[in-house]
Amino acid sequence: MNTTTQTLAGTPWKQGVKDAIPLLGGYIPVAISFGLISIQSGFSVLETILISTFIYAGASQFLFVAMAASGAPLWLVVIMTLLINARHVVYGPNLSPFLNHDKKWLPLMHGLTDQIFALSHSRLPQLPEQARIGWYTGAAVLAWLSWIAGTALGAIAGDELTQRWPLINDILPFALPALFLVLIIPRCNNRLWSMTIALSAITAVILKMLGYPNVAIPLAALCGALLFYALKDQRIVGGH
Amino acid sequence: MDTSMWLALVSIAVGTYLLRLLPYVWMKRSLAKKQMEGGIGAMPIWLTILGPTMIAAMFGTSLVPIHSDAVSWLATGVGTLITFGVWTRTRSMGLPILCGVVAFGIITLLLPV
Repeated sequence: MNTTTQTLAGTPWKQGVKDAIPLLGGYIPVAISFGLISIQSGFSVLETILISTFIYAGASQFLFVAMAASGAPLWLVVIMTLLINARHVVYGPNLSPFLNHDKKWLPLMHGLTDQIFALSHSRLPQLPEQARIGWYTGAAVLAWLSWIAGTALGAIAGDELTQRWPLINDILPFALPALFLVLIIPRCNNRLWSMTIALSAITAVILKMLGYPNVAIPLAALCGALLFYALKDQRIVGGH
Repeated sequence: MDTSMWLALVSIAVGTYLLRLLPYVWMKRSLAKKQMEGGIGAMPIWLTILGPTMIAAMFGTSLVPIHSDAVSWLATGVGTLITFGVWTRTRSMGLPILCGVVAFGIITLLLPV
């Protein structure tokens, strides 16, 4: 990643909010869908909003309402949703070298979703140390509030919204792959990393198309990492 | 929701938070301990590799369009190329994403399925 320290034009949290704006294109349509599905599964508006507020993990929320509505044993619901979220265990350690010892980081870890991790992993090394907590707070809180607001919108008026503006669900979510591309492409600065990144991305596409969206991210990342280890000492691909 | 459902919700919420928090706390302590012992606090190499590969995998999963038809894939391809093209010129975040979404939207709207 680019580790050149950048000076900020405004306050750190404003910069965090600005950097997180592209996330909204992916968050809000998915949150609207979740709100709608949760209501259709028999949860109330308040319960739906509380699920998004406190669990705050897209795929596992969908699984939670689907399994709960189907009458699955609750212990199984808890285990399955936590298994889906298990990929999050590598996020905090990856960011820890860039975070200071401020105790405020502890509650802020609630906001460490896939997208906030990807954004932070690229941006935090570029920021001065004293600006990082402000930047992260701005980015993470905007993402969290947009997820809650989108859920509320979906729970209250999701049916009408998706009927009136069906393209909300079709076009805006492209902001997410565009964001991930912009975040990961600077890492492709030599052949070894380019091949690692390409294999991870292609494996993820294949796994998702084969119908394994929940294991696609950890498995594809593992494939990329294995390739990295297999090739890192080969002269032909260069070092890292 | 009945009491058992609330209990499940709280368990998932607390469990998810701990999955995000505890590895961070563990790594922070591990780095601090290494520094106290006079060494250089460094992350395990496998972890520094998994970070970027996780982001690449997120890129891959998010690329797969909701509707898996030719127009959606064409829009995805063009949107990705436009995002990349604008990024190579600007090296910024906002404009490449905006241009990519607009390109994706134009193809989705203009071409019949």
